[in-house]
Amino acid sequence: MAMRQTPLTCSGHTRPVVDLAFSGITPYGYFLISACKDGKPMLRQGDTGDWIGTFLGHKGAVWGATLNKEATKAATAAADFTAKVWDAVTGDELLTLAHKHIVKSVNFTQDSGYLLTGGQDKILRIYDLCKPEADPQEISGHTSAIKKALWYSDDKQILSAADDKTVRLWDRASMDVVKTLQFDTSVSSMEYIPDGEILIITYGKTVAFYNALGLDLIKTVDAPAPINSASLHPDKDFFVAGGDDFKLYKYDYNTKEELESYKGHFGPVHCVRFSPDGELYASGSEDGTLRLWQTAVGKTYGLWKCVLPEELVSENSDTLYGSTPEIKA
Amino acid sequence: MKPVCVLRMPRGPDGSSRGFDPTSERYLALCPTTISSSDSAVDSATFVEEQKARTVLRERYIRSLLAMVKKDVHFTMYERVKVNAVFGASDIDILNFQVSDLQTPLGVQKEALIRCPDIISYSFSIDAGLKD
Repeated sequence: MAMRQTPLTCSGHTRPVVDLAFSGITPYGYFLISACKDGKPMLRQGDTGDWIGTFLGHKGAVWGATLNKEATKAATAAADFTAKVWDAVTGDELLTLAHKHIVKSVNFTQDSGYLLTGGQDKILRIYDLCKPEADPQEISGHTSAIKKALWYSDDKQILSAADDKTVRLWDRASMDVVKTLQFDTSVSSMEYIPDGEILIITYGKTVAFYNALGLDLIKTVDAPAPINSASLHPDKDFFVAGGDDFKLYKYDYNTKEELESYKGHFGPVHCVRFSPDGELYASGSEDGTLRLWQTAVGKTYGLWKCVLPEELVSENSDTLYGSTPEIKA
Repeated sequence: MKPVCVLRMPRGPDGSSRGFDPTSERYLALCPTTISSSDSAVDSATFVEEQKARTVLRERYIRSLLAMVKKDVHFTMYERVKVNAVFGASDIDILNFQVSDLQTPLGVQKEALIRCPDIISYSFSIDAGLKD
């Protein structure tokens, strides 16, 4: 029996949620960090959305946030011209890395030994987290603010997307550009999962998929509205996208067919990511909330419970909720 | 179509602290001490001794905060700021100090919150009289 999706709304932020990231799967489950313009990034349990803690210390909007694989460290990029590294278990601030302008993106290497940052000053920086007082390595080349910077192909390369309408691939050792992808419009998001062979880039209403090895275009899919972020399912059978029309779209990756679309957010969707096990995806919006959506609607997972018709009658109605209470405008 | 049932809503911030529950399974497993130990391969006898030292230091610090209440405190802060104020209280995470009569170049601020990360050092006289 087809069921209607019940998104789980995670409240707590007081301003738009602009970035989110999942950790890998750890012995304690997986975790989610959200970057918010209120300057207070939050850590949540990934499968339930339960709040774990808030990283306090930034003095401006937080534009980017990331977790290392083991969810033991977090990094954030903010409008206060700093990137910070945090202990994701205690919530303590470990390092403050001063920059010359707003920092937009942060990314750990697989071993959490190095942090890559990028922002409004157009320079990519690599910090050795074992020697944080040392000057970072700097890579210049972009002619506009950097939006996103990611480690690539086993941390041997770096991918960066900027407002100069390019995505550039850099060799880490030589610090030279290896390849440049030129676009007609600014890239809104870029996602690459280490282990995955596919890179997703969104721009305008387009979601584009690239072969990670040669950065060759595989396919593009056009959405009904400008897209701000997209994410590919770990098994590469679906992808989800969200943008300016407040909706979440789910597509079949192979056929490019739009499978589902969901209303729910009260503002543009800024970021969307699949969980590492692919069972759910999280979206962050201008409306200040994070929502968790099931990949397989109706399946028992996290806080969602598959209830058979007979059970609905006999269960204590206090313990089950038919639908989330939505505020009607 | 029937909506999918949900056990409860995700829990939100509790409003009273920044979270990171020190009694959670993950915290206890990954952080036996809050400051990184001098040597990760430390034996249990040294560990116990170190923990005793931490307890003494922590208690001493908390008592110093108590001793500071209603006293005039001199704060040295970033951006070459040096101010005096009467200490009231600290929050539980030692992230903010509540002070009164904060002497600033713009005048006296009756009540203020000083962000602890902005403080480089502070000092007060234990023998000084109380300021009500």
